[in-house]
Amino acid sequence: MSAFGTENKGEVKSQGDLLFEAQQRQKQRFNRNVGASWGIFFLIIVYFFSGQNFLGIKTIELNTEFIINNMGFIAKGLPQTLLVSVLAITLAMILALLAALGRLSTFPPLYALSTFYVSLIRGTPLYLQIFFFFLALPQLGIVLTGLLAGVLALGLNYGAYMSEIFRAGLASVGKGQIEAAAALGMTPWQTMRRVVLPQALRFAIPPVGNEFIAMTKDSALVSATGFVQEIMWRATRVGRAQFNNLEALIMAAVFYWVMTLILTYVQSIIEARLSKGDR
Amino acid sequence: MSTIVKISNLDKYFGRLHVLKNVSLEVAEREVVCLIGRSGSGKSTLLRCINFLEEPSHGSIEVDGLHVNSGEKGRAHRQLVHDVRLKTGMVFQEFNLFPHMSVLENVIEGPVTVKGMDRQQAIELAEHNLDSVGLLFKKDEYPNRLSGGQKQRVAIARALTMEPRVMLFDEPTSALDPELIGEVLNVMKKVAKDGMTMLVVTHEMGFAREVADRVIVMADGELIEDGKPEQIFNEPKDPRTEALIVRYRTGSG
Repeated sequence: MSAFGTENKGEVKSQGDLLFEAQQRQKQRFNRNVGASWGIFFLIIVYFFSGQNFLGIKTIELNTEFIINNMGFIAKGLPQTLLVSVLAITLAMILALLAALGRLSTFPPLYALSTFYVSLIRGTPLYLQIFFFFLALPQLGIVLTGLLAGVLALGLNYGAYMSEIFRAGLASVGKGQIEAAAALGMTPWQTMRRVVLPQALRFAIPPVGNEFIAMTKDSALVSATGFVQEIMWRATRVGRAQFNNLEALIMAAVFYWVMTLILTYVQSIIEARLSKGDR
Repeated sequence: MSTIVKISNLDKYFGRLHVLKNVSLEVAEREVVCLIGRSGSGKSTLLRCINFLEEPSHGSIEVDGLHVNSGEKGRAHRQLVHDVRLKTGMVFQEFNLFPHMSVLENVIEGPVTVKGMDRQQAIELAEHNLDSVGLLFKKDEYPNRLSGGQKQRVAIARALTMEPRVMLFDEPTSALDPELIGEVLNVMKKVAKDGMTMLVVTHEMGFAREVADRVIVMADGELIEDGKPEQIFNEPKDPRTEALIVRYRTGSG
């Protein structure tokens, strides 16, 4: 295409290339050592719970029979945990976007509504909010199921925190974009829908992914209502009943952790695809 | 020839800064007018007042028979501004292509979303214009895969596809690497040759000299000189024009 072809550098590597390669090697070595250390830590922890004698000290012995018998029961909470999280993050995204748009509004009541919502939610505990929906609303004649109360509370709570993400997303769309849309004759609504929102949402995808991962763990609080049979509820139930809380909670922890690892991996793939994509 | 753009007694203040001082200007159909002047002389602001990206403080704008007074508000005014924007195509210094849309989607966005044109018809029109800027083969690429010169040519095709009565160019080559300026200027020459009315804010004196029917010199928010390119470049009347031309002749700035 260009009349100015790149110069043929031949086989000689430049100083810059050599430096880059050296840095790459160093990075790989570091990553390998980190991986190995992770493995060692993991083995140590497994050993601690193996019930073996170690230099005359007996390590902790877990009730393997209990674990085997109840693993399936706790695992059945996984879909519930994900259901609560997916519903709540959906609600949170809608609320966060509305709150972010409210923050951009020049109409005082809208701006105030947005800041009021964010302030109120961020100023009170999530635990309280869940109980408010589940225990306090019935007094006003509004009876919600545990699932609905949990989803509303989590969604409302995360929406307030996530409004900052969407605000940053909207702010990331430059003034030039809005002017170009205006020059084409787009109305403010068309500009928002066709030009600003698609770019802002794309900007928001990675941080929203992080929030979702955090939410899968905060969804454990919904177990407090006693009516959503997610991982935490199931773990405490079987743990208390047979006084095997140690095993039950370790199992729940493993479930949460593995779930987080998988979601983080998925998240990193999405992020990589977005960054090399069509931006 | 009929008048396409008529600017009457335009004033623009940014706070207490008086950037346009009672500016009046007429551009006839098919005329190519270059606006030159030092940075801060008000030439970009004047251009941006024509399609109301800047709301003028006083005065009026007329584009293809649509008369818009400044300082008005309300629905009727917004509708007028909208109609004026449909008659004006704009090309920005920073291209401002939509990064989330492919080249073709960028170009059909205006006709489809704003004018409600049938998508297939818009695509035909867009492909015709992309072809005339030499970039039809890039129609499925995204803007981040294009060079600056290519981006600007797509931006020109995008504006042309709205079928405007006048094209406004706001320093279209100022953000480009020197070796990419030529391809954009060539496309602009072609647009001029096809009979488009053009108002071009530029620092490219060579382009002004070669392509413009008229060159207007601005300084301190006023039009200080207005004439044929030969006259402006060969026998400038105002010392500020002379200084400007000498500065470019010696290749600085």
